[in-house]
Amino acid sequence: MNITLKVWRQKNASQPGALVEYTVKGIVPEMSFLEMLDTLNEQLIARGEDPLAFDSDCREGICGMCDLVIDGRAHGPDKGATTCQLHMRRYKDGDVVTVEPFRSKAFPIVKDLVVDRSSFDRIQAAGGFVSTNTGGAGEANAILIPHDKAEKAMDAASCIGCGACVAACPNASAMLFVAAKVSQYALLPQGMPEREKRVLAMRAAMDAEGFGHCTNEYECEAACPKDIKISNIARLNREFFRATLISE
Amino acid sequence: MEATPDCASKPCRIFEFLESSIGKKIMVAAAGVLLCGFLVAHLLGNLLMFVGGETFNRYAEALVSNPLLPLAEAGLVGLFLIHIVLSVRATLANRAARPEGYQVYTGKGARTPGSRTMALTGTLILVFVIIHVATLKYQLGGPKGVDLFAHVLGWFANPWYSIFYVLAVGGVGLHLSHGVQSAIQTFGFNHPRYTPLIRKAGLAFAFLIFAGFASLPVYFGFIHEPALACCPTEGGSK
Repeated sequence: MNITLKVWRQKNASQPGALVEYTVKGIVPEMSFLEMLDTLNEQLIARGEDPLAFDSDCREGICGMCDLVIDGRAHGPDKGATTCQLHMRRYKDGDVVTVEPFRSKAFPIVKDLVVDRSSFDRIQAAGGFVSTNTGGAGEANAILIPHDKAEKAMDAASCIGCGACVAACPNASAMLFVAAKVSQYALLPQGMPEREKRVLAMRAAMDAEGFGHCTNEYECEAACPKDIKISNIARLNREFFRATLISE
Repeated sequence: MEATPDCASKPCRIFEFLESSIGKKIMVAAAGVLLCGFLVAHLLGNLLMFVGGETFNRYAEALVSNPLLPLAEAGLVGLFLIHIVLSVRATLANRAARPEGYQVYTGKGARTPGSRTMALTGTLILVFVIIHVATLKYQLGGPKGVDLFAHVLGWFANPWYSIFYVLAVGGVGLHLSHGVQSAIQTFGFNHPRYTPLIRKAGLAFAFLIFAGFASLPVYFGFIHEPALACCPTEGGSK
């Protein structure tokens, strides 16, 4: 089948970009969306044109690199899936598909569809860790953790930091990401020693990067490829309020 | 980049809280919930219009003669200011957070009519409140030299005034349809069993507030017989 793509092309961060139309020929339904873009690039290279820049890595939905907004939806039309898990069987011959980069002041465009998401790394570095002594692994059952808490912490920890929450949020807020990173430790005993320090530092880092405010539109939850729940945002709110009150 | 907060003193911590994205929304939500309390009290008072002009006038008289009223009014203005100023600041910051918007933005269906229009309904409510206070509290325009009940009926007799009133309280309802559950989420309360219930209760509350306030201009503006409404001889408060 043939697909008409309207793709955001932008040389670099300082030059303005625009949607450019391409017709991609010879697509088969088994192709992933990224393989379709690979096909486009082969056709562009054959014509001697500059290939389209887009991010991808594992192509199996666990790395969080493939960050595209497809027809106005972060990671495309499917729920709980990354762009690389979207397949061309979702489309039919002659469809027109718009592809844009994740848009946020805190995710500056590098080129075409590639954005710089190192702001997430800086938030994580501000407090998204536990300080622990290295050495031999401790006895696994020395610290008891209720099963439901472990499950919730694991659900939060499944965040792959792709940034779809920011891309989908009408306010470009990073709350779901920060909420997942705060929650995965706030739920576990290992996270307790740095509980207040962590949430205060990560909130400050988040705001300093220029992300927007959460207004509970819940588009983040709908767009999240890992189905991170907004109950984590509620936890972040109360962790922040609590830390503001009690930390010295 | 300032990543680690360095607040040794308590006032600094409070300032940091109020300046933070999360602190701002907690303040907006808290002011909003308190304003909801005002809406309930105001509605209950207004519904006395259905009991009768005399009862309504007596209630209004008791209210304005209370020496604590100016204090309550100042508190109310304060709540409005906190709610509006912080919301406007957050909205401006949100615009700045995405300098270049999407060519196509469809989302995945989580937004509601209420959540999409918070800024619009908020502005409508502000305009309405100004007109409402000017016309009904300070009695600018409308019939002169009559008691409050007759004055209100005089305004409701103007169909444009009544239609605007209904539209504006519709805006209040739409605002609350998102606001109530949003505030509770902002306070950090989200529970698999109670949150679906809270969302439904928020919608019900929003509808009751709308229906309650809208019933006054609808009934007294369009249904109630004006000839029976206000007989100058018996309309005055005792």
